[in-house]
Amino acid sequence: MFGSTKESVRPARLDRDRGLVESARRDPACFDALYRKYLAQVYSYAFYELRDHHAAEDATERVFMQALTGLSRFEERADSFVGAAGDAPEAAADASTFRVWLFRIARNVVSNERRRNRRRPVASLEHTTGLAAADDIFESAAAREAGTAAWRAVARLPEDRRRAVVLRFVDEMSTAEIAAVLGRSEGAVRVLLHRALRSVAADLRGGLS
Amino acid sequence: MPGGTSRDARRTERYIDGLMEAEEHGAAEVPMDLDLDPAVLVAARELRASLTRVHPSFRFEEGLAARLAQVGAATQGPRREPAAQVFASPIAPFRAPGLAVAAAAAAVGGSMASAGRTATRDGLAPLDVPHRLSLTSRSNRPFVVGGVGVASAAISLGAAYVAWRWSRGSQTPMVRAVRAARSGRGGHASGHGRRAAVLHGILGVMS
Repeated sequence: MFGSTKESVRPARLDRDRGLVESARRDPACFDALYRKYLAQVYSYAFYELRDHHAAEDATERVFMQALTGLSRFEERADSFVGAAGDAPEAAADASTFRVWLFRIARNVVSNERRRNRRRPVASLEHTTGLAAADDIFESAAAREAGTAAWRAVARLPEDRRRAVVLRFVDEMSTAEIAAVLGRSEGAVRVLLHRALRSVAADLRGGLS
Repeated sequence: MPGGTSRDARRTERYIDGLMEAEEHGAAEVPMDLDLDPAVLVAARELRASLTRVHPSFRFEEGLAARLAQVGAATQGPRREPAAQVFASPIAPFRAPGLAVAAAAAAVGGSMASAGRTATRDGLAPLDVPHRLSLTSRSNRPFVVGGVGVASAAISLGAAYVAWRWSRGSQTPMVRAVRAARSGRGGHASGHGRRAAVLHGILGVMS
């Protein structure tokens, strides 16, 4: 019965960057504010995915160039969640804020970069981060060892789980945002994260034993 | 069991949310979930501590900012509307406000209406184009120009009155005498000549 189906609608969230996006559309010089705000997030995502500073820089540059030139095509879409009564509301896959849109570009750029990198050797994440933190080697040796173990465990995760973990823990995205970036449902992302944590836990336990 | 996995996944999500919130607020203790696998809790804490955000070098940041500014400047030229085109329309209603509003709305209807559509599509409050135009045309320009017009008319009236007073011949004898004495003043007239003229004028008046 169609009439008996009740829908629960979660109020749409507003894009926090709407003002900045409108300013950047009017005057591209204002894009700088968006660039500064998201530089570290996009760079971190690229770095954890590509495990190389130079490759991450190239990818970051491509992401922001594409975002700047394609800003007129960006359309904010509210993530109005509609689900049957009693069920947990799920995110619409086409919900989009500027942040989600930017990370969709980043996901595509990084995927292309990874495909290219398969043909040539890439410096490992551990090696690169080890070089970067060489000056405080005595102070944080234990911490870095634990961190290296965690990184290694994350690096061993399947691609979709690793992406979900990086977006959740590094870029501090909500489950709904990750779902929009990866084009999955919120439920699927929750399960991805849960399984990723179980895998990391098993990996860490194996490393300790 | 799919239901169990989903439930655990929700618990894990809540735990991660609590973990991040506690860290954000600087809380000493992290909320616990005794039903969750302790190994998962440890892994979540480990990842939260280890997976830090990485910032690129300052040189890269500034270099990319400069390159983005160049690209932005290159795309900016054709998209920017000339100021005259934007502000020409509110000036037109000054002469005939009622008609000018419609004319201005027709003139800029394309650009303003498209801006309104864009704003609505992006979730912004829609712009009321005719209202904005009428407000602009009534409150700003006519007020300023009208004030100048009133001042100009007052000055003109004053000048006309002085001219009229000047040109109008007075009928009183004393005024005629003074005027005759003044007309008798020449650029090179001597003092004696002036006195004679005044006396002549007075005598003429008396006669």
